[in-house]
Amino acid sequence: MKKIITIVTLIAAGTFMSCSEDFLQLPPEDSLSQTIFFETQSDFEQAINATYAPLRDLHEVGAANFQGAWGMGELPSDNTYYKYNPNYRAVQDGESIADFYVNDGNGTITNKYTTNYLIIARANQILALIDEVEFDDSAVKDNVRGQAHFLRALAYFDLVQFYGSVPLHLVPVTGRDDAALPLSTPDAIYTQILSDVNEAIGLLPSKSAQEEGRATRGAAQMLLANIHMVQGNWSSAESVLTALVGSGEYDLLGNYADVFDINNKNSVESIFEVQFLEGTEGFASSFQYAWLPMPLTADQVAEITGVGNSQAANTEGFNIPTPDLLESYEDGDLRKTVSIDSIEVDGTFFPYIDKFWTPHSTPQITGSNWPVYRYSEALLFMAEAVNEQGRPGDAEQYLNAVRSRAGLTPITGVDQATMRQAIMDERRVELAFENKRWPDLVRTGMAQTVMSAFGDRVKANPQEYYFPEGFGPPAAAFTTIYETFPLPASEALLNPNF
Amino acid sequence: MRTKKTLWLGVLFMAIFCGFTANAQQRITVSGTVTDAETGQPLPGVTVVEQGTTNGTSADFDGNYSIDVASDAVLTFSSVGYAAQNIPVNGRTQIDLSLSVDSQQLDEVVIVGYGTQTSRKVTGAVQQIDSEQLADIPVPQVTQKLQGRLVGVQINQTTGKPGQGIQVRVRGQASILAGSDPLYVVDGFPIVGDISSINPDEIESISVLKDAASTSLYGSRAANGVVLITTKSGKTEQGGFSISYYGGVQTVPQKGRPDLMNGTEFAQFKKESYEDLGQPVPEPFQNPEQYGEGYNWYDAMLRTAPIQSLNINWNARGERSSVAVVAGVFQQEGVMINSDFKRYSLRANSKFKLNDQLDLGISVAPTYTIDNLPSSDGAFYATNVNAGIPGGLLTNAMQTWPILPYQNEDGTLPLTAWIPGISAFPTPNWYRAAKEIKNETKSMRVLGNVYLQYKPIDGLTLKTSINGDFGNSSFFNFSPSTVSTTFAALPPAIATSIRRESKYLSWLNENTVTYAKSFGDHNFEVLGGISYQKYEADNTQLYLSNFPDDRVRTIQSALNIDRTRSFNNINEWSLTSYFSRLNYDYNGKYLITLALRRDGSSRFGSNNRWGNFPSVSAGWVFSDEDFTESLDFMSFGKIRASYGIIGNNNIGNYTQYALVDNSLNAVFGNTIASGAGVTTLGNSNLGWERTKQLDIGLDLRFFDNRVEFIYDYYKKNTTDLLFNVDIPQESGFTNFNDNVGEIEFWGHEFAVISRNISNDNFTWTTNFNVAFNRNKVISLADGVDRIFNPGGAYTSITRPGEPLGQFWGLIHDGVYDNQAEFDASPRAVESEVGTVKFVDVNGDGVITFGNENDDRTVIGNPFPDYIFGLTNDFKYKNWDASIVISGSVGNDIAVTNDQGTTNLDGVFNVLRDVKDRWRSPENPGSGRYGKTTGATFMERDWFSSRFIEDGSYLTVKNITVGYSFPLRETSFLKRARLYGSIQQALVITGYRGVNPEISTTTQGQQANALALGYDWGAYPVPRTFTLGFNLSF
Repeated sequence: MKKIITIVTLIAAGTFMSCSEDFLQLPPEDSLSQTIFFETQSDFEQAINATYAPLRDLHEVGAANFQGAWGMGELPSDNTYYKYNPNYRAVQDGESIADFYVNDGNGTITNKYTTNYLIIARANQILALIDEVEFDDSAVKDNVRGQAHFLRALAYFDLVQFYGSVPLHLVPVTGRDDAALPLSTPDAIYTQILSDVNEAIGLLPSKSAQEEGRATRGAAQMLLANIHMVQGNWSSAESVLTALVGSGEYDLLGNYADVFDINNKNSVESIFEVQFLEGTEGFASSFQYAWLPMPLTADQVAEITGVGNSQAANTEGFNIPTPDLLESYEDGDLRKTVSIDSIEVDGTFFPYIDKFWTPHSTPQITGSNWPVYRYSEALLFMAEAVNEQGRPGDAEQYLNAVRSRAGLTPITGVDQATMRQAIMDERRVELAFENKRWPDLVRTGMAQTVMSAFGDRVKANPQEYYFPEGFGPPAAAFTTIYETFPLPASEALLNPNF
Repeated sequence: MRTKKTLWLGVLFMAIFCGFTANAQQRITVSGTVTDAETGQPLPGVTVVEQGTTNGTSADFDGNYSIDVASDAVLTFSSVGYAAQNIPVNGRTQIDLSLSVDSQQLDEVVIVGYGTQTSRKVTGAVQQIDSEQLADIPVPQVTQKLQGRLVGVQINQTTGKPGQGIQVRVRGQASILAGSDPLYVVDGFPIVGDISSINPDEIESISVLKDAASTSLYGSRAANGVVLITTKSGKTEQGGFSISYYGGVQTVPQKGRPDLMNGTEFAQFKKESYEDLGQPVPEPFQNPEQYGEGYNWYDAMLRTAPIQSLNINWNARGERSSVAVVAGVFQQEGVMINSDFKRYSLRANSKFKLNDQLDLGISVAPTYTIDNLPSSDGAFYATNVNAGIPGGLLTNAMQTWPILPYQNEDGTLPLTAWIPGISAFPTPNWYRAAKEIKNETKSMRVLGNVYLQYKPIDGLTLKTSINGDFGNSSFFNFSPSTVSTTFAALPPAIATSIRRESKYLSWLNENTVTYAKSFGDHNFEVLGGISYQKYEADNTQLYLSNFPDDRVRTIQSALNIDRTRSFNNINEWSLTSYFSRLNYDYNGKYLITLALRRDGSSRFGSNNRWGNFPSVSAGWVFSDEDFTESLDFMSFGKIRASYGIIGNNNIGNYTQYALVDNSLNAVFGNTIASGAGVTTLGNSNLGWERTKQLDIGLDLRFFDNRVEFIYDYYKKNTTDLLFNVDIPQESGFTNFNDNVGEIEFWGHEFAVISRNISNDNFTWTTNFNVAFNRNKVISLADGVDRIFNPGGAYTSITRPGEPLGQFWGLIHDGVYDNQAEFDASPRAVESEVGTVKFVDVNGDGVITFGNENDDRTVIGNPFPDYIFGLTNDFKYKNWDASIVISGSVGNDIAVTNDQGTTNLDGVFNVLRDVKDRWRSPENPGSGRYGKTTGATFMERDWFSSRFIEDGSYLTVKNITVGYSFPLRETSFLKRARLYGSIQQALVITGYRGVNPEISTTTQGQQANALALGYDWGAYPVPRTFTLGFNLSF
């Protein structure tokens, strides 16, 4: 009897004593929580990898990504258009961008905005905490910090170019109170971008010393050059490009087609590209599929993709090369047939982008990378930077390096204005479909004139621009040519500063 | 011995006390013996009170009493469980009396949290049901048996899936993100999840605690109400053995099945659609008559199915021990093909008296269930949770063209149901899919309990217990190559399989002290306790695909394991609680209860780990007051009031943490590099939802307790709602979990229990209850003025000032019959003559949908005006009968299934009344459907009042008639009864579907409080005919 009482008392006492806060401390075991993350070198290496991950979303297409980077970088320009499909009308997001009547609910606009901020938030998290953590190897720390600065600069550069004033988040958000910031002016944002990119140049290793596919010193230099080009700081651009060209890390590949060969990922010509991988692990690209001149039968799709078990594609084709672009290739330009092909549908030939197609075995699963910066663009930037400083002769070698690979004759002895036009024409075809045309039109102040004229041509002759008989762009199309896009409505709803 | 001494002490106390209050009338001493009317045995402890005074005594162990009273006094004899009697003294000095057991148990012992109380002394809102009342109802779940019986508790069978689909809501409880299910407590153990796996035959009684005073001892888990389950224990002295069995068949009533086009009608519909478009009619539709009735795909999915249940009870009580054993087998085949549910259960409850002061109890209850059910519920585009396998099989079958066979004449099954080049979507043979999909869960659950109870001195009880709830389930899904999803490619598809192993353990250690003491008429009971509970769960899922052969379904035969759908997750929570309660009453007339619980939970943020949950309640038995003496017809009257604060901790186990997702991988070159990033924001202030509840109640009994009336008014305010507040994505995050907003609930509950007729040959009892539950959103998060149903459908809106989840859409206004009407009416950009017409709610002259300030408005309310239940029990000689009715009035249902079954594009089979659609100004049809040739999407995808129907119903849930065979005293049989029963006997409703209680999501799952009342197609609730018998030995 007494024993039992003692036991009961002991059980009770024992449990009373176990009453500590430890019993109530149960962090998740199947995923990491922030309380135990960001503590080791490996944590930060994983964190920087995760900062790259949204770049894929930014450039891909799909239900969640809408039109991807090309939807705002190429589609608004005179290089591409859409092929109107009267039987598939869930396409307002894309058409309204191509036709210049976007509204702020547009999914493509929202996706570019929110995905860039995902990169920024992850970079902020790293930069806020990395200094407090001891690394096994300090070179790794510099490398991770350099990549974080580069990616944050790249994201803000994308935002400021396409939206103008945006909120400037530089430290991790902790709750509702600091989630919404006021808009910062483009000047303030550019100041921050320059600071980040210069930091990155100092920290990042050169391409040959960096793991394949990651940000390098050269990529940061190229980004800096791009910023200078946008801001018209020609001599600054020239100096950073001189360092890049002189680094010996980069060169042109022998043929234009080689650049897009699946076996030449991250080649000597590549300065920075978004990395995709064929397979079912979720790293594949499929943006080319959105550019099919749909509707197409399964056989027609197979003809283009080279994939045996292709399925019919019944939606609307976007990023269809315009007749204007086809015209702009000089005779004998080897790039034309590499870049563009065409397919016969019901007796009519429709062009489509060909240069990004790579062999793959399953529909919608390709391994094609997205080229953000190539060496040929560095050469063309260089040509432009020296030409703008009144040295058209110095520009020739850079321009002609690109032209000669394309099988074109050199341009020599021309004046600055002619050289300027030649460089722009060269950029248009060399970098066709690489999301350069629209930013070029904007930074050179040509957007208004070029796109108004383009719009007039489309409206005057819609069938030339792939509209079926009896259809054309809506009345609102091309009435206002704007150079930045509206901030997303879903964000405006939640940020009282907009 | 000690007890006797105390009793005498009590009597002495009373005598002294009475001495002071006695008046100077002529007084006599009355004595006598009280016996049990049935057994003739003496009844100890009977309270004897001189009516209208505080003078009273109680009978001793031999039933003897003695009391000094006025010679013309009236004595009230009462005892727990017996009908009280009022006997005029009329000068007698000897009054012997026998008390009958009160079948309605006036002073019924009610199970309350952490103890029991007599119903007289209960100050909260508690309703208890004894399982005997539920025994004949042929359904597998006890909650289903309670339909119609509990006041203020809405129990809906949202789907007819065997063994599933019962939704219990106490007092209209709803939460935006935290769960709304009540807490189930089995023999003092708050279990995890629901009680669907528990054999109802193991249950002795069920108490539902509704107000804060009754529930506050369950603290942070109490806000949704608490259901206390008490299982059977050894009770009869002789011991007993009984067998009960029922068996029967279930069918789906014809009324309520979808009224779809038959083969000829469908072919005609297609033919006309082509003609209206001015296109040539394809060959299959040129001669509609050739198809006749065609194939009824919906009926093909259904069948008549058997159901049976066998339970064996054995219980015994000895000098020092008692034991009760319940063994049960339940088998139900589903009324949809290839679905069934089986349960094998055992419970052994035993108690041992180690000595006069020490009791030991041990119970163990293993249950094994098997259910197999292809994903029947949900929209036609539903896919099974986290997997690309089809759901919504019933809806898909409904929509399949009736001109195509589900079975060939030779008995083989076609692989597809489509016509190449003519059908719009690749369509597999859904009938075959339902037959060949395996979707089976086998679960083992063991509930166990050990306790020690020690009574060192009279009135003091120490108790410690350890409880365990262990579960292990294996889920196996196999979708063979003959199955594919809607809109996907035709079969043969890629065969897939899911294997999921889940196990959990929840344990509770609880230690309580109670001390009861009376000082004269002042009765005190104090409870104090401390408990620790921990839950650990582990789920592992493998998603396999590419099986070369449908017949070999093992892991190693799959060519691919899909990593993105394979996972292992671990869930844990812990809870430390301190609780105390004081019950005080003065002479059973003035009652006060104070309670306080303090909960610390691992789910709450580190800055907000502990919560206090106090309550206070009081009662006044005013019928004991002098001034009610003249109200002879009233035999009992009590007013109750309570107020308290309770919590809802169903906020997720890890919601407070900033989670790092370590699957944010990147590619560099051809190498995959693991990546990790913070994907959710943490909130270390996160806490429970807090509900303040006021309850005012009135209990009245009239005509010697023949009629009982219970009324409750309640008002609840839930604040600190768990809410995923959207934040701008410039932060890198989409939302932030916070406690915000407020919802108000209030309502009135009435119950009447009337023993209409009660004599030796015939008794008739009626139990009626009705509840009016209301809710209103007071506020949402700062800057949030509305939220919609989850899933992005924008068809239910929740706004401050309105009830939750109001249907939100356009008002359907017929069809533009002709050009004149078209020209004169507001219209949308896409409108044409012959398309659907809506009301221009915002008055801007155009119909808009999908933007701010468009023409959408509130078009329906999923909450009923009132719910009611009506039970009648009859007994005539050896016959017994009962009829249970439950109903709901005023709620709306959104028949979103019509999106498919009224689709005008001709891609699916449609309802028969689509025949009456607009075809030309001369032939405008019924006005319900527009033309097939243009802008059909508005009618289909613009949610409008055309989808809303009144969901009011009155359902005769059960009718049972039984006959007990007269038995000789000497027979080895003590009881033999045969009965027949019809479950879901009759549904009276204007709603056209088969189940007006329906409420599911597109994926066929239980609906969130913001999205109630949708009919996306669900497993029909069958009508069940059974015959059964009960034998006791």
